[in-house]
Amino acid sequence: MLMPEFPSLVFSSLLIASTTLASVAEDKIVFNRDIRPILSQHCFACHGPDAHERKGELRLDSLEGAMQGGESKKASIIPGKPEESELYKRLITDVADEIMPPKEFHKDLNEKQRKILHQWILEGAEYQDHWAYITPKKPALPSAGVKAYTNPIDQWIVARLEKDNLKLSKKAAPHVLLRRLSFDLVGLPPEITDPSRVSYNDLPAEIDRLLASAHFGERMALPWLDASRYADTNGYSIDGGRHMWLWRDWVIHAFNTNKPYDEFLREQLAGDLMPNATEAQLVATGFQRNNANTHEGGTIPKENLTNYVADRVKTVGESVLGMTTACSQCHDHKYDPLSQQEYYGLFAFFNAASDKSHDGNVGVNSRPSINALTSLSTPEEIAEVTSEIALAEKEFQNVDPSEVEEWQLSIKADEIQRGKEFKLIDLKHLTATMPNGSISDLQIDPKGEALTIKRGYTTGINVCCEIPKDTGAVTGMRVTFYPENKGKIGFGKDGSMVLNTISPCFSSLPSKNIDHNSLINSARLTSSSHRPGFETHYLTDTRVINGWSPADNTKEQHLTFTFPQAIDTSTLNHLTTELVFNDGRKQSASHFKIQLFSGNDPDSQHSAELLKIVKTPSSKRSPEQAQQLKELFKKHSPHKSRQRIRLANLNDRLGVLTKKHPTMIMDTAKKPRVTHFLERGDYAAPRHEVKPGTPAFLPPLKPAKELASRLDLARWLTRPDHPLTARVAVNNIWAIFFGQGLVSSRADFGSQGSYPTHPELLDWLAVHFQESGWDVKALVKLIVSSETYQQQSSPTVEQLLSDPQNKLLARGPRFRLSAEHIRDQALAHSGLLVPRIGGPSVKTYHPGDLWRQVSHYGSSRATAQSYHRDNGEKLYRRSMYTYWKRTLPPPDLAVFDAPNREVCLVGRGTTNTPLQAFILLNSPQYIEASRVLAAKILKADHATDLARIHAAFTQVTGRTALEHELDLLDEALQKELARYKDDTEAAEKLLLIGDSPSSGLPASRHAAWTNLCQLLFNLSETVTRY
Amino acid sequence: MSTLPNSPDLSTLFNRRAFLSTVGNSFGAVAANALIGSNTLSASNPTLSAPFHAPKAKRVIYLFQSGGPSHVDLFDGKPSLTKLQGKALPDEVRGGQRVTGMTANQKAFNVMQPLVGGKQVGDAGAWISDLLPYTQKVADKICLIRSMKTDAINHDPACTLINTGSMQLGNASLGSWLSYGLGSENENLPAYMVLLSQGTGKNPGQPIFSRLWGSGYLPSEHQGVLLRSGADPVLYLDNPPGIDPKQRRSQLDTLAAMNHSFQKQHIDPETLARIEAYEMAYKMQTSVPELTDLKDEPDSTYELYGEEARRPGSYAANCLLARRLVERGTRFVQLFHRGWDQHVGLGSQLRSQCLDTDQASAALITDLDRRGLLEDTLVIWGGEFGRTVYMQGSGTSAGRDHHGRAFSVWMAGGGIKPGVYGSTDDYCWSVENPAETVHIRDFNATILHLLGIDYKQFSFPYQGLDQRITGVKPARIIKEIIA
Repeated sequence: MLMPEFPSLVFSSLLIASTTLASVAEDKIVFNRDIRPILSQHCFACHGPDAHERKGELRLDSLEGAMQGGESKKASIIPGKPEESELYKRLITDVADEIMPPKEFHKDLNEKQRKILHQWILEGAEYQDHWAYITPKKPALPSAGVKAYTNPIDQWIVARLEKDNLKLSKKAAPHVLLRRLSFDLVGLPPEITDPSRVSYNDLPAEIDRLLASAHFGERMALPWLDASRYADTNGYSIDGGRHMWLWRDWVIHAFNTNKPYDEFLREQLAGDLMPNATEAQLVATGFQRNNANTHEGGTIPKENLTNYVADRVKTVGESVLGMTTACSQCHDHKYDPLSQQEYYGLFAFFNAASDKSHDGNVGVNSRPSINALTSLSTPEEIAEVTSEIALAEKEFQNVDPSEVEEWQLSIKADEIQRGKEFKLIDLKHLTATMPNGSISDLQIDPKGEALTIKRGYTTGINVCCEIPKDTGAVTGMRVTFYPENKGKIGFGKDGSMVLNTISPCFSSLPSKNIDHNSLINSARLTSSSHRPGFETHYLTDTRVINGWSPADNTKEQHLTFTFPQAIDTSTLNHLTTELVFNDGRKQSASHFKIQLFSGNDPDSQHSAELLKIVKTPSSKRSPEQAQQLKELFKKHSPHKSRQRIRLANLNDRLGVLTKKHPTMIMDTAKKPRVTHFLERGDYAAPRHEVKPGTPAFLPPLKPAKELASRLDLARWLTRPDHPLTARVAVNNIWAIFFGQGLVSSRADFGSQGSYPTHPELLDWLAVHFQESGWDVKALVKLIVSSETYQQQSSPTVEQLLSDPQNKLLARGPRFRLSAEHIRDQALAHSGLLVPRIGGPSVKTYHPGDLWRQVSHYGSSRATAQSYHRDNGEKLYRRSMYTYWKRTLPPPDLAVFDAPNREVCLVGRGTTNTPLQAFILLNSPQYIEASRVLAAKILKADHATDLARIHAAFTQVTGRTALEHELDLLDEALQKELARYKDDTEAAEKLLLIGDSPSSGLPASRHAAWTNLCQLLFNLSETVTRY
Repeated sequence: MSTLPNSPDLSTLFNRRAFLSTVGNSFGAVAANALIGSNTLSASNPTLSAPFHAPKAKRVIYLFQSGGPSHVDLFDGKPSLTKLQGKALPDEVRGGQRVTGMTANQKAFNVMQPLVGGKQVGDAGAWISDLLPYTQKVADKICLIRSMKTDAINHDPACTLINTGSMQLGNASLGSWLSYGLGSENENLPAYMVLLSQGTGKNPGQPIFSRLWGSGYLPSEHQGVLLRSGADPVLYLDNPPGIDPKQRRSQLDTLAAMNHSFQKQHIDPETLARIEAYEMAYKMQTSVPELTDLKDEPDSTYELYGEEARRPGSYAANCLLARRLVERGTRFVQLFHRGWDQHVGLGSQLRSQCLDTDQASAALITDLDRRGLLEDTLVIWGGEFGRTVYMQGSGTSAGRDHHGRAFSVWMAGGGIKPGVYGSTDDYCWSVENPAETVHIRDFNATILHLLGIDYKQFSFPYQGLDQRITGVKPARIIKEIIA
């Protein structure tokens, strides 16, 4: 999958012969298997289907053409007579300008390839039509020696193995199989406490259970999301946010309800054109709206639209047809019989929508978009969430008087400290910049004390200030805003201002820009006043939606920002601050100054109302005040923070299940765009009009009306005699379970693609799949129930050398887990996993703000320009729900080969790099999962540490540790225990990582166990499904 | 390989380097990688075991100036522009060239002369703006190419084209190609490192995107690794609080022992590769901080690069890091510096951008030269396109629009012959002599050529096509600029 396909013949010469697809016993040349790859790679570029580029009028892609010869009229091939065939002569000639392929193409044939061509001509030079374009027929099952096998898959695989005198390996151990099945069918590990008690007899029931699991749809959806280039942002440069998760929900639901695969395709391609289309069928059409789209100013509308539609053709080509189309956008395909004219026929199907060239800014979906309900909502979950909310609400309403007391004490203590030794330090304002507008609108006053903004802007402003010498340590900064716009503080309606974020950082040198990697968070943010709904805490939320706004536009106002720790300014003697006025109505401030301070913020974090109650002795409070205090406690106290988050998340979830949400769909415009043949693929060089149509080398399209529609295309793709759709589908499903397809070039079944390792099996499966009514679950069950699938995956050295890629399947499949499943596994084992199905994407732990470093934050109001992490259960959803920003995909998943989803991808690579080790060893997600798993193990009922090690190992790997492995782990544990014995401080630091609550266990012990659990998550076998 | 040892102990049989060394040709190396299952860092197993021809450059520092620096103001000033100041760009010069949506509706396309004057500097007498006094001083080390041409006129497609060889999404970046082909000279650092900075002229500049250093269809290990300023330069490089290095070493030893145990039970070359990857991660925990810790740099370094180099995350600091990276054998270092998109406020914005970059860019040349590294390190300075000779907007806030038909970049070191190549017409609009046009594919093919790679033979089969950084069309190696 990862490595390029090298011709098996060359590969075998390096290793040993049985790697080749041709078995030892079978020595007759087969055109499609042995010859076409050579001709395609070495000859077709000049002597193939592309009429415009054809050299010497010779085509070698048919016997007729080859026998006829080119301009020279010499027959290239004379069947049975290689020495007289021009083709062969040109291969072996010594005459430099006659040799083929010409030297400058660097496509020389090797000795073996020449011999094969020789033999083929000798045997009669039999051509075959390209195998993938011939409608598959169900071949009779092989007979010899395979009677012991009832599953047709095994019969085909064994029949092929027998040709090389090979056999299937023995069956994997039952617990190993259960783990394999669980990852393959639901993408999650099984719960195994005693591997010895898993038996083969359990497996059929386990398979049925897993197929019926709601996680089955999630697992099956994952490769389809890659192929469909699903993402949560628009892509291209600005890459603002979009809402497409309803389509993702639809896909999961389709797999869970076992929607027949042909219907699955038809609804996604043309749900909107179906008679009485349902809302769900409209949502399904989001498939072809998943393409990236731009709203970059200045880009050219026609160019953009051409790109969008070309991407749709590419996607349907690679994911459904197994056909590469990109070549034909500019010229006839060089290898496959897809002409440029036919390309634009396919293009026309997807060019009739009402989508716009520039659209989708500020988090509003690109049109057409509808509001719809999720397909995944069930009355059961609504009831469950509703009752969870009731419970959470009850818990939330339940106020513990001792906690209220504690809170009041902390407020009082804070109030006493307030303003202590507060001293403001004036700074010299050096520079101010903004990305757009006229820089002369930013003016620092002559003394450098303050900054004037002459007009209202929606912009980010970076201000650099010099800190006076001998300032020493500072504890925070203050920004004071003055009503200098004709007596008003800002330029908004009524002279208002809204500040969205404020980001300070220090440097030793003047810096006009903030450094995103050294931004300081606020420990406390107060203001002189605020409008309702515009409190200071909104400043910590970098999204565009909200900010701080003072209550009175006519008076001086200030904002006070306290740093988490005091900062020594003796070397860090410059402060740069970014103030973002981003709400879109040019509500910037008019005049402000930045100062630092030492001592404590003199303003209160608490409302006057709260302070008044707290200062009143409890015995003297009115009942209203007592009640009010409770309310404020619930709303603002840190004690209630988790409950507030929980309630908010639950209410969000209820909204997901019960309300309509936006999603992009396909439609047909009132006046559809006319598709033209584009000269060299250039949008600016339109030629004749092209009507929707399908390639001539495939079965004919039978449109319902004169002008073919997407619905006709969808029906055409799924008609029973279509040679590609079913083959491509079963091949992709096969790859989920074997790590590679029977055709390893899964997106290219064309001339340049690979020949199937088991052509009869592929055809048998394709026809069987259609006969079953395109029943995905039945196909999956057939595959995972096979002996082939259930073999042990450990190779012998001989197997490894003779068939390193396991093409013949003399052993079971083994591969690294996908990025998502590695993380899901850690969440599942620790018990952190929140297994809700579907819904909007979530933002998990993230290092700093990588988005803001590359984005247009402060210049554009597009969403998804800055990372704002979620909390509570949203941190622990399955990884497939991670917010996918195309220009900066989730870094912890990307390192494990997750794609950026800019374009269709069928089949990911699997690499193995040190950066992966950093994620598993050092990122908060895995440390937290280890900590929580450790607590679970420590709190369970085990007699000894050894028993605990046993349990932890089994939990994570699904097997029993061997004696010497136990010793290794025990030794490691003892070292960890010793490490923290006298260093509880270090232990506590480790245990602070991650948001989940503290376990209450002794820190040293818990930390030691955390590291042991993390070691288990890092084991090679843990990330391998074998 | 025909006589197989009976021992199932793969650690000896599949010792990666030992195994690779038994396989001589490059094709074998690919096959061997596939056999072993996967790569760790590309360091130890480049695809090309030998160059196609003797390389002139072993490594590259690419100072990518994102946004489209104005060639008119910086490198291509000429007396004609002063004469033409304020005059309309004639239609015959424009030659039907499309313009972006930002100025398409502008009524007049009037010439705006360069912001400030310049000098003919160096032996070749290249005109370089007085906004770039330090670059002027290294003129004898650089080759100024004034006949660059791109097909794109907007940031996203143009950045994507110059960095990945195609305007379409999904292709592999130049750096990832070199990582794939040549690997790294340092086993403890990735082959392709990326450093980001933001100019002060326009903050934020146009967005940049990981596609520009992505691996496209190549294996994902070849994507550029971000080296960030601040405490955690490589993502999650540092041990978390509460875990010390000695303890981590011990943990990794246990991990390796456990992995070996699994490997012996299951014969898994992939696990062997993983053990090696973890070892490399451990080494990176030392090698990366050592790389980014600038304490050992003497004051003279900052005299050369400017005091800005002391400020983490600045362009100057990144230039200094680039030198430290190539000293350590990193194959391809790419800086992305934003803020060159001067549609408005050219006067103030361009000055700031130049102040950010001029001294450090020139210093890098001087520094590499002093250290004897310039001769085999190729340094490239340039953006995705240039800017129009005509003004966008008017008055003091005027700027220039995007212009891809002709623009300037410079290269130095690594087999480059200093001088000037190519010229434009009186309006800096088109390449004067079409034969001297350096299309993006020519530019990238020439970079590969300097590294000893024949672009025609350096391909990766994907989706039925031999993919190349140069695309499907033939490219021209710009022999004239090669020493």
